[in-house]
Amino acid sequence: MKLTIINGSPRGKGSNTKILMEHFLKGYTSICMTDFNVSYLIHAKDLEQQVQLFKNSEYVILAFPLYTDAMPAIVMNFIEELEGIANLDVKPAIGFVVQSGFPEPYQSRFVERYLVKLSKRLNCEYLGTVIKGGVEGIQIMPESWTKKLFQSFFELGEHFGKTKEFHPDIIAKLAKNEKLSSSRLFVFNLMQKLGLANFYWNKKLKDNKAFERRFDRPYV
Amino acid sequence: MMKVVILNGNKEAAAFDEKLLIWAKQYPENDYEVEIIQLRDLNVKYCTGCWGCWVKTPGQCVFTDDSALVCKAMINADLVVFASPVKMGFVSSLLKKSMDKMIPLVHPYIEIVNGENHHQKRYEKYPELAVLLETDKNTDDEDIEIITNIFKRLALNFKSDLKFVKLLETSEVAQLTQK
Repeated sequence: MKLTIINGSPRGKGSNTKILMEHFLKGYTSICMTDFNVSYLIHAKDLEQQVQLFKNSEYVILAFPLYTDAMPAIVMNFIEELEGIANLDVKPAIGFVVQSGFPEPYQSRFVERYLVKLSKRLNCEYLGTVIKGGVEGIQIMPESWTKKLFQSFFELGEHFGKTKEFHPDIIAKLAKNEKLSSSRLFVFNLMQKLGLANFYWNKKLKDNKAFERRFDRPYV
Repeated sequence: MMKVVILNGNKEAAAFDEKLLIWAKQYPENDYEVEIIQLRDLNVKYCTGCWGCWVKTPGQCVFTDDSALVCKAMINADLVVFASPVKMGFVSSLLKKSMDKMIPLVHPYIEIVNGENHHQKRYEKYPELAVLLETDKNTDDEDIEIITNIFKRLALNFKSDLKFVKLLETSEVAQLTQK
């Protein structure tokens, strides 16, 4: 079997998508050794080659961050190139990984529906969509905070290596709490009251000496 | 005077542009100021996800490109129409590229809406949103529904409402063409 991971993050090799898929691949290669490719859509000059890679794979996982409620434009640009795939005799089975900064999986359900339809449109077997919210910040979180997340992606990859399927229980685990749970809501409101809810943004704004300009309205 | 901004997401010059012009004529000149922005003629770079528009140059992309022009037109409009031929069941990547670059119009700070995280407003007022599509032979009702739902979400994130989703080939345009 030949697996291709297509990374659709505009951040390319610096992306959170890459980190999640690396853990997936660690799990996958513990079963299937080196039988995989990874390609980054941020390298637009490789588009034709990427379409070929898609055609020649048995399994494709397209992974990307949620961007303005859908796929990033570089991903749509790639999808537009796949139009002829439906008529091929042999096509890959495709699955998707959608991660978002917003914590709620609910926000990614709308593009998920598009991806289900896309698989049908391409006449490709649909392997499912893994949705994970709250991913922004994983690169600065202490290890103890991300351990479970990375372990889940490892297990997802390991299971994929064995069965060529996403394990439904792991998908469910990653997408638990469709919207904010009441406890998370309580914590958010508390942080808001304590002025801590915007800590992450304020720190970045201050680091860039842009804090005083944070409410700027340059276009009116 | 109502300001209507139409973002033409058609990638290559085609009949779509003509139809769009005719469609735009439904807004009488006395009451409406209509601007059609040809996205394919602009230099808009892909969003790189750096979030500089939130934390370095608040409200503006850190890269100089024509997305500033699109953002400015959008925030000063009463209605923004996202116009595109449907290909592979969605609006064009050209249009999506400009959509990705609209995030400087909201603030990085988060608020809770309907039990969900959303970004806070940056501006006082946001335009209503609308979608105008031209279907191809592979477009079906489900595709239109999927696009509609995604744009409803976009409207929610841009503190707005989705006013309508229309198809260019429906009778309305045909009637306008006859006129």
